[in-house]
Amino acid sequence: MWESRDAGREARHFAEVWNIRGTILLDETGAYAARLGIRGVPTNVLVDEHGVVRAVGVTAPADLDAAVDRLLAGPRGFGTAP
Amino acid sequence: MGPVEPTADDGYGGFDRAHRVLAHVRVGMGPEAIAVDVRRRRAFVACSRSDAVTAVDLVRMTPLWRARVGREPIPLIFDAPTGRLFTADARSDTISVLDAATGEPITRIAVGAYPAGLGYHPRLRRIFSGDTAGSTVTVVDVDRLEPIAAIPAGLGAGSIAIDLRRDRGYCANFMAASLTVFDAATLRPLDRIAVGRGPCKTVADPATDRLYVANSLENTVLWLSLADGRIGGRFTVERAPVGVAVSRDGHHVYVCNRGAGTVSVLDARAGAESHRIRVGYGPGDCVVDPATGRLLVSNAGSGSLTVVDRPWLPGPEPPARHPAVGRPLPGFALPDLHTGRIRTTREWAEKKYVINFFASW
Repeated sequence: MWESRDAGREARHFAEVWNIRGTILLDETGAYAARLGIRGVPTNVLVDEHGVVRAVGVTAPADLDAAVDRLLAGPRGFGTAP
Repeated sequence: MGPVEPTADDGYGGFDRAHRVLAHVRVGMGPEAIAVDVRRRRAFVACSRSDAVTAVDLVRMTPLWRARVGREPIPLIFDAPTGRLFTADARSDTISVLDAATGEPITRIAVGAYPAGLGYHPRLRRIFSGDTAGSTVTVVDVDRLEPIAAIPAGLGAGSIAIDLRRDRGYCANFMAASLTVFDAATLRPLDRIAVGRGPCKTVADPATDRLYVANSLENTVLWLSLADGRIGGRFTVERAPVGVAVSRDGHHVYVCNRGAGTVSVLDARAGAESHRIRVGYGPGDCVVDPATGRLLVSNAGSGSLTVVDRPWLPGPEPPARHPAVGRPLPGFALPDLHTGRIRTTREWAEKKYVINFFASW
């Protein structure tokens, strides 16, 4: 989670309001997002079992479902997709 | 009249036939809505995480003053006849009123719960507050500086556009995926129109008689006819469109893609996106400076205001795919929100996983 002020408090409040579960890590200043070349939120990053980034973006539900299917299918799943 | 957009034989040639980012002005944390005082050449930015409004000199492109307001100011209106600024403090349930010349506070007006959008009707001397948690539109008299009515709206009421020709208001209901239509003169609710998911911003364009709606959760912008309320078309843009502005001639629509750090430029006549402009991180809103045609963009993630000259012209092509794709994920060591423990990339070694970057701004 990328915040600018009171990161822990803001993130906790946001997660409660929107009922967000799972592991939440704090990227307080957005420094890690910047290292990845991520320029805004929301953004999804899909990582394969070798630690290689396979997709960036894909936030619309249909796009995310398709990208996860490709990730689970293995290297062939990504083919020439951008 | 606004600036005349150059044509192919206007003398602009070669390299110069491109938009250009002139400045990134630091304004404060979490900047959102922008208003412009054309006569004094000033822009004002509501900085939601600084609890402040910042004034910017549009000639020197430097900040002039910063004024404290309530908690989490998001929308912003400049009332030229009185020289006053109105911002809604979402977490204070108030509208703060400032002197635009100096930033001095004038008063605060109580409105509904979590006001996140403001509409403005200069002739009727009214401001309309979209109260997100209250599902109402609070109507405020701009001169008496007091609330005069509340209109029922939908869940997640926020951004409000006014059709000045017909005295109609359109309030975007984020969670209800709808627009509440009301009569801005009689204050009666008139209709409800279904739109896309997560409508975050709505803007009326008098030049084309259209209303634009940014559907932030489905990456589209739709337009409907102000004459009959029918949906006329839909544009696909980038991730999380949350801000919209229209050029004075109605030919170009500018859309802030909060998830991508870009502005999509839509050709209204062609019905398609013509190009994208790379701005700062997490762009949240934009306006066109009527005097110059320049685009002013607030970047919530960068804390800056980007000034783009001749935004209707294309520029450098963005890369075909994100540069991180195909490369090893950089290692991270970040604190867990719930435990405070540092978590690292090693925990997820040899696994397939998704990281969702998000923020509360």
